[in-house]
Amino acid sequence: MAEENFLVTLRYAVWFLVFTAAVVSYRVVFGPTLADRVVALNTATTKVVVMVAVLSVVLDAYYLLDVAIVLLMVNAVGGLIIAKYLEVGR
Amino acid sequence: MIEFVLLAFGLFIMLFGALGLVRFPDVYTRLHATSKCDTGGAMSILLALAVSVNAPLLIRLKFVLLAFLIALINPMLSHAIARGAYKRGIKPKVVVDMYGGGNP
Amino acid sequence: MGRVHFYLKERIEDVKRRVLYESYEAMKLPPWERVAITWVVLFTFWLLVAGWGDAVHLLIAAAVTLLIAVIMRDMLTEDIRGRGHLLVKSLHIFLFVVPQYLFIMAFRLIESNLRVVRNVILLDITPGIVKIEADLYSDTGLTILANSITLTPGTLTLDVEKKLGKAYLYVHWINVETLDGERAGRIIKGDLEEWLKKIFW
Repeated sequence: MAEENFLVTLRYAVWFLVFTAAVVSYRVVFGPTLADRVVALNTATTKVVVMVAVLSVVLDAYYLLDVAIVLLMVNAVGGLIIAKYLEVGR
Repeated sequence: MIEFVLLAFGLFIMLFGALGLVRFPDVYTRLHATSKCDTGGAMSILLALAVSVNAPLLIRLKFVLLAFLIALINPMLSHAIARGAYKRGIKPKVVVDMYGGGNP
Repeated sequence: MGRVHFYLKERIEDVKRRVLYESYEAMKLPPWERVAITWVVLFTFWLLVAGWGDAVHLLIAAAVTLLIAVIMRDMLTEDIRGRGHLLVKSLHIFLFVVPQYLFIMAFRLIESNLRVVRNVILLDITPGIVKIEADLYSDTGLTILANSITLTPGTLTLDVEKKLGKAYLYVHWINVETLDGERAGRIIKGDLEEWLKKIFW
C-alpha cells in the first residue's frame, strides 16, 4: 500500500491507460496492413502489463506481478513468431 | 513528490505514443513512436511504483525487474517486426533507401 | 581490384573469418568463470521471481541453477572478453561500466521521448534508411548496440549484416542529416560503442 493521496491518483491513472489502449485499438481495427495490426497489438499488450502492475498496488494484491511478468514473456514469444510469419509466410 | 512527477511524465509519454501510432504515415515511423514512447513511459511508471510502495524489498525489486524486462524486450520486438515487414514487401515512404535497392 | 573467381573469394572470406576468430579466441574467459557468472545471474533471477524462503528452498535453488549453469555456460557469457582476476573484473564492470551506461541511456531515452512528442505534434519528418558500420563483431555486443540505437533519439535498427570481418547496421532514421557512412555512424552511435567495446569484442 502506498500513501492515500497517491492511491487516488493511481485509480485515475488506470482509467487513463484504458483510454490510451482505446486510442491504440483504432489501428488494430482499421490498420491498412498486417504489420500495423501487429504493432498496435504489441503496444496494447505493453499497456495492459503496466495496467496490471498498477492494479497490483491499488488492490494490494502483489501476486498480480507474476501475472504481469508472464504476460510480458508471452508477448515477446508471440511477437517474435508473428514477425517470423511476416517474413516467410504469405 | 518524485513519484507524482514520474507518474505524470509516464502517462504523458504513453498518450503521445498512442497518438503517434495513429498519426504517423507508415509502419516504420509508427514503430519509432511505439518503441521509444512505450519503453520510456512504462519504465517511468514502474519506477514510480517501486519508489512509492510500502512493501518488503522483494516487491520493489520485482517492479524494477519488470522495468528491466520491458527495456530488453520492447526494442527487440520492434526491430523484429520492422525486418519482417520489409521482407514481406511493405514499401517505406523514405527519401533514401540503402537496404533494398543497392547503392543509391 | 581485378576479377576474382567466386570460389576463391569465398575461400578468402573463410580464411579471414578464421583468423579473426582465433585472434579473439585467445582472450576468452576460462570455463569456470563462465559457469560462475551464469550461476550468479540465474540465482539472482530465481530469488527475484520466487522469493527467499527457508534453507531447503535455497539449497534446491542453488543446485538447480548450478546444473543449468554448467550445461548452458556458453550461451550468456561467450562473447565477454577481458583479462585479470575475476573479482576485480566483475567489480569494475558492475560498479563503473554498468552505472555509467545506464546513466547515459536514461538521459538519451528522455530526450528521444520528448523528440517523438515534438514530431507527433508538428509532423516534420524526412525519413530514410542509411547503412552504417559497427566496430563490434560478436552477437551479444551487436544485440546490445542495436537495442541502444533503437532507444536513442530518432533512429530504429532494421537489420544486421556481417561479412568479411565487418558488421553493418541498417538504420531507419527519422530526420536524415547526411548520407555519408562515417558521419552518419558518428552521429547515430555517439559514444555508446566505446562503452560496449570495453566488455565485448
